[in-house]
Amino acid sequence: MAENTTMTTGTGLDRRKFLTVLGATGAGAALTGCSTDRVAKLIPYGTQTEDQVPGIPTWYASTCTECSAGCGLHVKTREGRAIKLEGNPDHPVNAGKLCHRGQAGLQGLYNPARIKGPMKKSGAGFAEITWDEGIKLLADQVKAAGGAFAVVSGGPRGTFEQLLRAFAQQAGGSVTKYEPFDHEPVRLAHQAVFGRDEVPVVDFAKANYILSFGADFLETWGSPLEQQRGFAASHGFDDAAKGMAKHVYVGPRLSLTAANADEWLSTTPGAEAAVALAVARHVAEAKGADAGIRSALATYTAEWAAKESGLTAKQVDEVAEGFAKAKAPVAVAGGIGAQYANAVELCSAVAVLNAVAGAIGTTVRFGQDAVQGDGAAAILALGAKMASGGVKVALVHEANPVYALPKSTGFAAAFAKVPFKVYTGQFMDETAAACDLLLPNHHALERWDDVEPRAGVQGLLQPVMEPVFKTRHTGDVLLAAGKAAGYALPDAADFHAHLEKTWKARLGGGDPEGAWREALAKGGRYAAAPASPALRANPAAIKYTAPAKAAEGEYVLLATPSSLLHDGRGTNKPWLLENPDPVTKMTWRPAIEVHPDTAKLFDARNGEIIRVETAAGAIEAPVVLYPGIAPGVLSMPLGWGHTAYGEFAKDRGANATDVLAVAKDAKFVAYAGQSVKVIKTRGYQKLARTEGTPRQLGRHIAEAMPAAHAAKGLSVKESYLELGGHTHDINPEWEDKAIEGWYETQKEMRVYGEGNNYAGEHPAWGMAVDLSKCTGCSSCVTACYAENNLPWVGEEQVLRGREMSWMRIERYWEGGEGGKALEARFVPVMCQHCENAPCEPVCPVYAAYHTTDGLNGQVYNRCVGTRYCSNNCPYKVRYFNWRAYNRWAWPEPMQLQLNPEVTVRGRGVMEKCTFCIQRIRQAQHDARLEDRKLKDGDVVTACAQACPADAIVFGDMNDPESRVRKIKATNARRYHILEEINVKPAVTYLAKVVNVDPAHLAEGGHA
Amino acid sequence: MRKLVMLLGGVATAVIAVAAVIGRPTAATAQAKADPNAAVKLAAADTANLKGPRQPVFFRHDIHASQYKIQCQYCHYSVAVASEPGLPSTQTCMGCHLVIGGSDESAKAEIKKVRDSWQKKEPIQWVRIHYLAKHAHFPHQRHIKAMGPNACATCHGDVSRMVQVYKVNNIQNMGWCISCHLERKVTRDCSACHY
Repeated sequence: MAENTTMTTGTGLDRRKFLTVLGATGAGAALTGCSTDRVAKLIPYGTQTEDQVPGIPTWYASTCTECSAGCGLHVKTREGRAIKLEGNPDHPVNAGKLCHRGQAGLQGLYNPARIKGPMKKSGAGFAEITWDEGIKLLADQVKAAGGAFAVVSGGPRGTFEQLLRAFAQQAGGSVTKYEPFDHEPVRLAHQAVFGRDEVPVVDFAKANYILSFGADFLETWGSPLEQQRGFAASHGFDDAAKGMAKHVYVGPRLSLTAANADEWLSTTPGAEAAVALAVARHVAEAKGADAGIRSALATYTAEWAAKESGLTAKQVDEVAEGFAKAKAPVAVAGGIGAQYANAVELCSAVAVLNAVAGAIGTTVRFGQDAVQGDGAAAILALGAKMASGGVKVALVHEANPVYALPKSTGFAAAFAKVPFKVYTGQFMDETAAACDLLLPNHHALERWDDVEPRAGVQGLLQPVMEPVFKTRHTGDVLLAAGKAAGYALPDAADFHAHLEKTWKARLGGGDPEGAWREALAKGGRYAAAPASPALRANPAAIKYTAPAKAAEGEYVLLATPSSLLHDGRGTNKPWLLENPDPVTKMTWRPAIEVHPDTAKLFDARNGEIIRVETAAGAIEAPVVLYPGIAPGVLSMPLGWGHTAYGEFAKDRGANATDVLAVAKDAKFVAYAGQSVKVIKTRGYQKLARTEGTPRQLGRHIAEAMPAAHAAKGLSVKESYLELGGHTHDINPEWEDKAIEGWYETQKEMRVYGEGNNYAGEHPAWGMAVDLSKCTGCSSCVTACYAENNLPWVGEEQVLRGREMSWMRIERYWEGGEGGKALEARFVPVMCQHCENAPCEPVCPVYAAYHTTDGLNGQVYNRCVGTRYCSNNCPYKVRYFNWRAYNRWAWPEPMQLQLNPEVTVRGRGVMEKCTFCIQRIRQAQHDARLEDRKLKDGDVVTACAQACPADAIVFGDMNDPESRVRKIKATNARRYHILEEINVKPAVTYLAKVVNVDPAHLAEGGHA
Repeated sequence: MRKLVMLLGGVATAVIAVAAVIGRPTAATAQAKADPNAAVKLAAADTANLKGPRQPVFFRHDIHASQYKIQCQYCHYSVAVASEPGLPSTQTCMGCHLVIGGSDESAKAEIKKVRDSWQKKEPIQWVRIHYLAKHAHFPHQRHIKAMGPNACATCHGDVSRMVQVYKVNNIQNMGWCISCHLERKVTRDCSACHY
């Protein structure tokens, strides 16, 4: 795909591209920043579209398909091309928020690795064919297969799926739904415990005691965004009356979810189930569960669990008591990173625990399940059928089983044996490369479709723009091929007509057309959640098998899902590759996480490459020393090591699944618990990490206080005093005296023209970030990349510290030494818009200056790139454009995504967070046209809009009614980063609140 | 140095443009005493010396805006609501030219181009005359709001009198913006336009 990385200028577009950028009468796709390159032609529409006004974005409601959670989307389009994805506020799952994976869907739409049209295998490569030829070939082959036809679909549940099933059935074959992270152990456990093959919906917002056994519910488990919202609602601290939930994480690895726990109990890998059983026993006794359950749990004492798990009996008892006493407890299990061989037992234990604690029906609700995948057993059975020659024609739709299934399952080899393979996905991935006929589907933003992420929630997808490439809706392809083959399929001209008909029938009522349009505008149909049925736990499901210990001299490997790449489908999107892993801060490459003590055993340092071997295979990857993992355990993120998936995914590490020994009849893939041999190689790979200094070193960047102190309304300083000994004086008295009046004088001295009035008619923009809500998920980072045309710079530039993330999440460690628990703290850092900004006076050309509305302005066209401002910035939030990133960060056709409201900066320009000034100015324009003043909430920055936890509040500090002013004036937890340097930042942070006994709080941050 | 030359070039253009504006009305009034709004009749040979770039269709703003008094916003439809003024779609042209075929041979030939464009579904690619650097944002709607719907001429010159549109004012020069903002005592904050 190398030819696609070359850039063409505005005049080198073919007619098709012209159509997609039709009406680019304005700034157009600004490829160059500080230049006067002109768009020489003005091209109007042929026919005026009713919903497009140049310069005004048009929003379409749609649904995200980046994972099976099915969040609602609002797609922002300008002049006929999608430029940003935001959450749909009406949608019950995500309520207006969107994670980084969802937002990066745009880079899927404009991905150069998309298959650009129908193709047929020709020698080692593919040759272009016409759609008519492709459809005829499909119809002929399927017909000739005579029933030996199989379909693998990774597509969501919905109308298309039914059509696919009808097609397969007509052809005498069947559909196997494949979703790599399918939560099979959760289903199997609930089948055993409650007799229900279901994944329940967990309501974290209602919970006040959250106990996770390796379930990374903030990242990859369940419906992450919905759970993040719920978690922030219950675990975030608002006031003493509401209080906050307690979150305890049990498992050997400090994932992002564990990093947000108040307590992390690091267990022997695989022994989480023992803790769950001991807690269940305590709760069953305390709450008087029925005798059957009690006797089945009788032997699982805290002492026994302590011995099994490596914890102390006291720790287990404390958790058990806390859980038993909690009003709304919830326990979760079944995370991919904790999918050990005994995962079903763990999930069963947790199901029993929820049952005895009374969580079923309140915080854990059944009856809303909508099956997304058929589980590993089904796909492996299909693999066996393929290997035995039972499949003559295979069709793979929107799935990549060749990559995602471990090599040891032999699926790839079995798939290769199928004589004719058709692929109807979007990307040239491993599965596509193995196929004979490629009939590329439209991207989710280009097609009509619907999804049903759970019973009662039906989301609609509608095309928001003309297709970027010569792709075709697979629904249309199936209808046409079915017609050619003489199959009895729904009678519709195309899939759009079929979908509309199906929906109109479903919506019913007197005005189906009106109802259909309303559903389209709302993004779907959302019924109230059905009542959860009453369930009784079956004591026979309670079992425990001790995890197999690592063999002598070997280590236990956890193949953990990446919060950014998911199962590997994100690896072709630079926004996700460059967004650092939230906990290890690795970019662009996987690394094996090793505890520093473990690394000593094989003498490995950061970046030294080790070889991890099992009977199934071997992989090589650099070591990253990570204090958040149990000694003796290695962890490697999934999703890397693609052999095909476009330029961005190429040569990016190894695939952790290569070393997993998975039986050909496994019910699920045990991603965790594999015993591996480690051999240090002589290789070295410098790690492109954005971690910086992992400790705060007394700088008071990420403050925290115990919940008891927050409830009392103590300030950060008072909390320090309360914790004993350490006074936390911001400035010593003599220093305060020295700078007395200095700031005021500075402010008066500044003259920027008439009306420079902070207190009067002009706003003073400010932001508040609540660290008790921020989970460090990094959704805001991707939102900033999308909104502000931030270039990704690539691994080599990240290694030089040149990443351009105007918004970054800093992660600091506390404790972890001297018997203190390890604690992670996350701080989103963007330009602090200091009132007394050190960057401003040093700029020789007035490019950095203070605006009348209190922003720290940066005028790109003035900037000459001295970098003095960056050197003088205490927060390191100014980013210098070292290379002409604008020339290569948007390879064709990615430049179509650029936000026309934001200048694309060229080389030699300093850039930084502007508080989304384009949104401020747009809101001001709108208010002026309506002859009104701006009101609180008119301006929402991209980061605040995306934040699933609502941790970021933006507004006018001069407006007495604004939320941000109230927080800044009254919230006891407020503080500024580096307050002592007197720069008066406009960003206020609210200290993190940790729900532990004050005596337990790690001391590190309280020096 | 390059910038300085560009700047000088800009000033020179502005001077010529001002001279043109002063010079034009006398000629026009002399020619069209009877109907002050009637557009000048032109032979094909007359068009070679006209200022401004030749457009793919010899569209005459003077006929449309002056003689027939079509409001600017009939075609530039989004100027009062959006940052972009909007360019009429071929459909807008065809609204009239489905019926109006042109009074003489040269007009007929030009209108035929519009009809062909409509038939072939290929938009007319106009040559851009006014442009700003991409690091400057000019919200048309704010200026229309502040100065009224007939404010177009402030920057674009009296287009309704132009046989062929040309650049009157050196609007991509920031001095043009600033002088007006100074005069009207409105914001001169850099970040009002540059972001």
